[in-house]
Amino acid sequence: MSRARSFSGGTHPPGNKELSGSREIVRIPVPETLTVSLCQHLGAPSTPVVKPGDKVAFGQVLGERNGFISLPTHSPAAGKVVGVVEAPMPHRRTGPAVVISVESAEEAPAFEPWPYWGNRTPEELTDRIRDAGVCGMGGACFPTFIKLSPPPDKRIDTLIINGAECEPYLTADYRLMLESPDDVIEGMRILAAVLRVENPCIGIEVNKPDVIGLMKKKGVRVVALRTSYPQGAEKQLVHAVCRRKVPAGGLPLDIGVVVQNAGTCVAVVQAVRDGIPSVSRVTTVTGRGVRQPGNFLCSVGTPFSRLVEAAGGYGPDVKRLVSGGPMMGIAVHTDEVPVTKGTSGVLALSSEEAVGTDEGPCIRCGRCVDSCPLSLVPNMIAKASEYGKWEAARKLGALNCMACGTCGYVCPAGRHLVHYIKRAQDEIRAMARAGKGA
Amino acid sequence: MMAETRKFELAVSPHIASPESVRRIMTDVVLALLPALAAAVYFFGFRVLLLTGLSVLAAVAAEVLCLRFMRKPVNIALDGSAVVTGILLAYNMPPSAPWWLPILGSAFAIAVAKQAFGGLGCNIVNPALLGRAFLLASFPVLMTAGWRPPMVDGPSGDGTWDQSGIPTARLEASDVVTGATPLNLLRQTYDWDADAAEAEAAGDGGQAAALRDRAAVARRLLFSRDTRINLFLGRIGGCIGETSALMLLLGAAYLFFRKVLEPRLPLSYLGAVALFAWIFGGPGAFQGDPLFHLLSGGVVLGGFFMVTDMVTTPVTRKGRIIFGIGAGLITMIIRRWGGYPEGCSYSILLMNLTVPLIDRYTKPRAFGEARKHG
Repeated sequence: MSRARSFSGGTHPPGNKELSGSREIVRIPVPETLTVSLCQHLGAPSTPVVKPGDKVAFGQVLGERNGFISLPTHSPAAGKVVGVVEAPMPHRRTGPAVVISVESAEEAPAFEPWPYWGNRTPEELTDRIRDAGVCGMGGACFPTFIKLSPPPDKRIDTLIINGAECEPYLTADYRLMLESPDDVIEGMRILAAVLRVENPCIGIEVNKPDVIGLMKKKGVRVVALRTSYPQGAEKQLVHAVCRRKVPAGGLPLDIGVVVQNAGTCVAVVQAVRDGIPSVSRVTTVTGRGVRQPGNFLCSVGTPFSRLVEAAGGYGPDVKRLVSGGPMMGIAVHTDEVPVTKGTSGVLALSSEEAVGTDEGPCIRCGRCVDSCPLSLVPNMIAKASEYGKWEAARKLGALNCMACGTCGYVCPAGRHLVHYIKRAQDEIRAMARAGKGA
Repeated sequence: MMAETRKFELAVSPHIASPESVRRIMTDVVLALLPALAAAVYFFGFRVLLLTGLSVLAAVAAEVLCLRFMRKPVNIALDGSAVVTGILLAYNMPPSAPWWLPILGSAFAIAVAKQAFGGLGCNIVNPALLGRAFLLASFPVLMTAGWRPPMVDGPSGDGTWDQSGIPTARLEASDVVTGATPLNLLRQTYDWDADAAEAEAAGDGGQAAALRDRAAVARRLLFSRDTRINLFLGRIGGCIGETSALMLLLGAAYLFFRKVLEPRLPLSYLGAVALFAWIFGGPGAFQGDPLFHLLSGGVVLGGFFMVTDMVTTPVTRKGRIIFGIGAGLITMIIRRWGGYPEGCSYSILLMNLTVPLIDRYTKPRAFGEARKHG
């Protein structure tokens, strides 16, 4: 086997994937009440088209697309609309949501299934993927159809399926690739057909040798990647696989590459082949704060508390509850927030696992600079941000930061580097908007 | 009945962190410095323990007092950085310095060089080195006249060494006046060469030849294999912690192993010292002895423990290399043409001042950022 490919910088936190890696995906029953967020994707929230008292069928549109970068939202079950409300959300304090009282958990195609999708045009397939509300399932939730509609002047020659799953603890994609390899592969073929790409490949970290072997046996082109964080970040993955660098501030589209997550492939195949909109996902529930970590297939709108219940409930020591992985995930203050299309994991971290919040002064050790996969200077950006020097932070490249958390992980002083840099990004963007408005 | 709603702590990502901490780094540095202390006790006697201990105590006490005065939490003083400063200051002092010298130096290092600038992470220059510079300027005699000969007999019984590391037997056979340290003797050879040139100009050819001859003999002795072994082991006169290259290398290896040391700084510094020693450290161009210059004076101590001080060196990779080369060049310029026999500590202090500039102009190009033209 050739040497595993990688990128420069990064770090290698303990994987902790053994907690949940061996557990088969289990379907969690649809709860009596679902809280379906209308903003599960990147972009504008969808506009609600139902009102309290309405009966809804499985897969019925609850919210319509609102603008170009937006997606429709579908009902994960048949039932009655109880309310259109502002509810606590994992990725923000609150957000618009449709609350549904579930009457039947039965699934039925909401679109015409296309088992022979080969005779559909790329446009038809793209529209289906859009109308089914498919977005990136890796966590960024970028609407998938946009990545499939490159501007006419951009030629796409490479499709990479992201099976790196570099976030520690998470095993949802791993289980999905292991248990439903054919769905992943068929989804990949659909995406390749849409993009007219000849030879798509799948990038997998070498810590998943069984998946690498399985995919190879099925004739898929596999690129083995070094186990290193953030191997699955789009720009790092593209660089590792095809040695091309996405320009700063640009997208993989700009260099002829499209990256799609392995979980997204499954959502695509369900939308196209089975006519099922994107209303469920596989989520890893793990951490030493739950008794039986595992991987669960759950409907969008299921509260985190149900997932924790399915994972054997809380252990004696739970310090922090995180939506997503430990490096980029967002801490939530309550487990009454619902699963969204982007919920790749729910972590209940014990006080031993969760890092303390104490922060010391920067000792200028330069580890953040050495490990930043985007070659930024996190310590300098953070310092500028701390003193409110937003323009200085912008000049240092604050907007390039993808908040992967590598700097914060390696910092011996425990500085909240990601927080400072995100803060600077918000302020810089606000300044730019104000500048435009004036 | 309403179910009890659990509340969870909110915090920013990442939610996990490497086990690295400032205290752990400082502890590793202290551990890495201990072999050299053992060598100092072996060669200079137990007095060096007293001096080092007083220096550390004074550094920590000064830190606590400063923090209390500024109404900052006093437990910051326990991060270990003051201990490192205390040890390094003592290591830069002659073994027979009076007991109050390290106390004064440490207090100055912490209060003026470190806390006055905002404490750990904010100081511009290396506190221990500024403390040493302060002592050297204030008490030049005490800081340079206290060299002791190493107190250990040679392996064969009759082999003893003077402070410059030259076997006594060979020294007596020549008429070379011995120096206080190897670098002091080297400094004298430069002076003799200069005197010889003067004597020649005055028409005293005999005197000039005698001086030149003496310088050549001294150099031959200094650059001999025996002397080199003594330099490596530490059987020479010098500051408490700087003489035993072997023990310092042992500590440095530990720091590399623990990934505390980043290789660019020490390697570029030592490489530059060797290169410039070869180019202009000898009597003529490209005749210098790199190994002698690497092993003598404070280069090994400075190269692994002071050039590498995180706070006062660049954070960028390229910047670290520039810093190391700059410090190496200044060290050799001072050794060759400066007023002091040794230039290690001043070279680092001078380079410390350039760090903001170096960082600014060596900022790495962001991933995918176009090369700037023009």
